[in-house]
Amino acid sequence: MKPPRGLFDLAVIGGGSAGIAAAVTAARTGARTLLIDRHGFTGGMGTASLVHTFCGLYLLRTEPGAVIANPGFASEIAGLMIHATGVGPLRMGRVDVLPQHPVDFVRIADELIAAEPSLELRLHSEVSGVSRKDEHWEIQLCGRAGIDRVDARKLIDSSGDAVVAGLLGGGSVMSESPRLQRPAYVFGVHSAASMSEESRLHTAGLIVEGIRGGHIPADALGISFRASGRAGEIFGSIDLAGSDGVSIFNPLDTACLTDLEVRGRRIATQVLRWLCARSESWQDAYISHWPVRAGIRESRRWIGEYTLTGTDVLAGKRFDDEIALATWPMEFREDAKGPKLRYPKGNRPTGIPVRCLRPLGIHDLWVAGRCISADHEAQASIRVMGTCFATGEAAGRAAVG
Amino acid sequence: MEVSKKTSPNPTELIDWLNDEGVLELDWDFPEGGDLAGAGLDSMAVMQLVVAVEDRWHIELGPEDLTKANLATPITLAALIAGKTS
Repeated sequence: MKPPRGLFDLAVIGGGSAGIAAAVTAARTGARTLLIDRHGFTGGMGTASLVHTFCGLYLLRTEPGAVIANPGFASEIAGLMIHATGVGPLRMGRVDVLPQHPVDFVRIADELIAAEPSLELRLHSEVSGVSRKDEHWEIQLCGRAGIDRVDARKLIDSSGDAVVAGLLGGGSVMSESPRLQRPAYVFGVHSAASMSEESRLHTAGLIVEGIRGGHIPADALGISFRASGRAGEIFGSIDLAGSDGVSIFNPLDTACLTDLEVRGRRIATQVLRWLCARSESWQDAYISHWPVRAGIRESRRWIGEYTLTGTDVLAGKRFDDEIALATWPMEFREDAKGPKLRYPKGNRPTGIPVRCLRPLGIHDLWVAGRCISADHEAQASIRVMGTCFATGEAAGRAAVG
Repeated sequence: MEVSKKTSPNPTELIDWLNDEGVLELDWDFPEGGDLAGAGLDSMAVMQLVVAVEDRWHIELGPEDLTKANLATPITLAALIAGKTS
């Protein structure tokens, strides 16, 4: 296959939920678009990290029934996923979520991308350099053959880690560990017990018993199991922090990430071994797949023309230049005591101004997804995939508009 | 209020304690017979609960204790703890 040549109208860095939305939206206007991802498939957290729930798709409401918050790409993806899995939105506590299957997500993304003749996909590529050349961006792509260069008029950073800010040398901020949201390690399990509420509670008791007896590490406290929607398959999720279990974790540091991946697998293995030995309903269960990478909730964020704040989210603030609605409560995963949710007054949605997608003082660059301009608290709401679809779509439209 | 370690909680004290421990976030007027699962007492929160109960009342809740019936409301949960402390 020939490397892409010539000048693209738009390059989208990172093919997660925001990047797919951005690239497909831009390409649908006829813009010549390049979507770049480091894995062998797109989808990011929702595929490579096995995060199996679309959060933030629906409005918060007390009445029964799920109502889509953002029409457009988020709604389109939700429809395709429901068609694929046969499972609609679920009310969990006070929120409506859409269970999604990572395997379906990969295929849906492939089909959406393939349907756009002006959209080119480049997988297995890390962006290793970005610079301004005349009136366009020069992007260095690193693959196994070495460094390749592509040119694009406009750029969208949907990398999740504000990679472009790192390469340009500034304009970003990152919360420090241990305040940084803890990563999630999600893995697939087959042939386990049914995931009825009763058996989940029983399993929780077995986990605590295992920790008490020293059979499994204390890090396993808070592990949860949820049905995948496919026969015999469940997903296990563990929130993890740094190697000492308390403090230092840096999602940009490959040594930290290495430690995280290895520990996630070790804890999951120990938990499964314990449950298999201890419970009849778990005795045939086995780990059927590992994530390509651990799920990162929070990383480096851009500083934009406006920074959405936790106060904005609590008040359900609206803006004249809003491009999407954030509806997910601020979900804090800062410590081992489990998730803490902060809901906005009156379940109000919060507007996300287009200024949050505009890095301060840099032309022809937009940002989408979890690394848009938001403070630590607001990021705990806007990071979810349902909202990332919406900010991605908006960035794609703004970049080529 | 100074409470002996051995004294089991009444349902209202239990509601306050669940909030203080951060196991759940219950409204100030959460009823003694209110639905704890609906208020967020899922399998993850239950693990926190078991650890916190062990710290506070020095009793061990095992897998056989963690049934939907025992964890249904502050009343049933208080009864479970009382049964273990007596």
